[in-house]
Amino acid sequence: MTIIRAIYGWLDRRLRLKPIEEMLLNEPIPGGASWVYVFGSATLFLFCLQLLTGMFLAVYYAPTPDHAYDSIRFIMSSVAFGAFVRGLHHWGASAMVVAIGLHMLQVYLYGAYKPPREVMWMVGVALFLLTLGFAFSGYLLPWDQKAYWATQIGVNMVGTIPWIGGDLVRIIRGGENLGALTLTRFFALHVLFLPLMTLGLVLLHLFILRRIGPAGSFEERRAVVTGATVPEERRRETLSEPFYPRQVFMDAVVAGGVFLVVAALALLLPFPMADKADPSDTSFKPVPEWYFLFYYQGLKYVHGSFEPLATWILPMVFYTVLMFLPFIDRNPVRHPARRPKAILIGAAFLVGVFGLMAISLQEIYSVPTTDPSMVRGRELYSKLQCNGCHRIHGSGAAVGPDLSYVGRVRDRDWLIRHFNNPRAVAPGSFMPAFPLNPTEMNDLTNYMLSLK
Amino acid sequence: MERRTFLTRITGFILGLIGLALSIPLVGYVVSPAFRRQAQDWAEAGGVHELSVGDPKELSYLVTLQDGWMKTTAVKSVWAVRQPDESVTVFSPLCTHLGCGYHWDSDDREFKCPCHNSIFDITGRVLSGPAPRPLDRLPFKVEKERLFVIYKQFKSGTSKQIEL
Repeated sequence: MTIIRAIYGWLDRRLRLKPIEEMLLNEPIPGGASWVYVFGSATLFLFCLQLLTGMFLAVYYAPTPDHAYDSIRFIMSSVAFGAFVRGLHHWGASAMVVAIGLHMLQVYLYGAYKPPREVMWMVGVALFLLTLGFAFSGYLLPWDQKAYWATQIGVNMVGTIPWIGGDLVRIIRGGENLGALTLTRFFALHVLFLPLMTLGLVLLHLFILRRIGPAGSFEERRAVVTGATVPEERRRETLSEPFYPRQVFMDAVVAGGVFLVVAALALLLPFPMADKADPSDTSFKPVPEWYFLFYYQGLKYVHGSFEPLATWILPMVFYTVLMFLPFIDRNPVRHPARRPKAILIGAAFLVGVFGLMAISLQEIYSVPTTDPSMVRGRELYSKLQCNGCHRIHGSGAAVGPDLSYVGRVRDRDWLIRHFNNPRAVAPGSFMPAFPLNPTEMNDLTNYMLSLK
Repeated sequence: MERRTFLTRITGFILGLIGLALSIPLVGYVVSPAFRRQAQDWAEAGGVHELSVGDPKELSYLVTLQDGWMKTTAVKSVWAVRQPDESVTVFSPLCTHLGCGYHWDSDDREFKCPCHNSIFDITGRVLSGPAPRPLDRLPFKVEKERLFVIYKQFKSGTSKQIEL
């Protein structure tokens, strides 16, 4: 400790570090430090974690269709802590989406995007878009079935934009097909372009924060005098608290907690890779990451000529409104209780997103638990290792037919006859007849019928 | 303890813990494959009947090597000798001096290295030149008249045999 202090003192006498230290640590927070202000720093912490784990993943990753999948298998199975490092990156990505969402929510709720912080908000929205870009480009890199087909769909959505859609798709893919050129450009985007752009915008975001100061409490009595436009002598009159030590302490505690959660997920919830990407296997039904599920669900409700509404018109409108929010919402009041319209719109948006997400999760994963027979059927499915040949929502092999939606195309009678003697109803099938007793037969059939 | 100092200590402690929890796995992650010895399997090098007493033969064969996540094949060669007592000896093809490939001079009945004129007899013993130790012998086995070899490399230039 004394050595560090001595070195710091030596450097300080030459580089005059003390004023910088004070500038960094004594930033006043109007209304005082609070646990509500930790989301920005939590997002920054996760971004740093992603940078670090991403750099280490790149040590062994090879961005070509021939090697991408195998190189990640190698990381998972042959490199010490490989699964852990990849787990940190995988769950860190999800955590970052959560953190940035909470951060934006807090800023919205506190009206912190209002003047003089318009530019900070806009830079923040750009950072949010970059984060989604990371999520989308990173998803392809493992080059497994899930990655390949989910990206295929994401890219095809761009194709629905009129006039330029087709050309845009070609530019994104780097050609006619999703292949080697797509993988290398997604890789370059994910590990070079996006990180540097994000780093630059993060610095800009923090620079603006230091120039204007944090918004702090929405209670006017406590935080009315803030901002760079306020004369220095009046700033001191505000009821405020320096950034250090309490806010720094809170940020550190949250960073520690976030790290614990991400590390625990990485250790306890392994996420196996799907089969290696097979462009000829069109039976694969990809499911997007949880944070895109609401959107995936929304797309199910629009058909035909309305489809562009969901694939690009609504997202465009949404991001435009989000970007220019400080200029659209001209109400200068920050207190949420006195902004009923803004809070109502925000709440409606959240209800919509989480509602769609809940419906989607239910459709994908749930077997109605009210029917114990179905649950037994599902257990039987895994006990008999049906997934050795069949696939349900992306998990299992693609030897036999995909069963994700088998309940839509087969009825009870057909299924039972098929279980008794597969070749009787499906000539040429090489599925064995499993010796099932009538109860098991009924359970398994009920489970099959629930898949739709 | 002052409250300010206490908060600073806790902050430093948490950040230190995160750093430690990251740096140990990350160092292991980078270092681990570097020190892993490849598990070598027996590779079939040729038929024993091709060997006649006193006439060393260079046998070339294909081996499958694990190169990270890739499997590659490489051509390896060894010198196999049927000694006068009918036993077989298999030599690494690299001179123990600096790792050049040597050859068998059938007129002089000696192994000769062209780089620095090290000379070995048919049992691998150094006859002259700078070679610090006899030719390196490789483990082998004979099954159904076929010769199986495990390829190994040794450090060159040392009087003791050190496997790489």
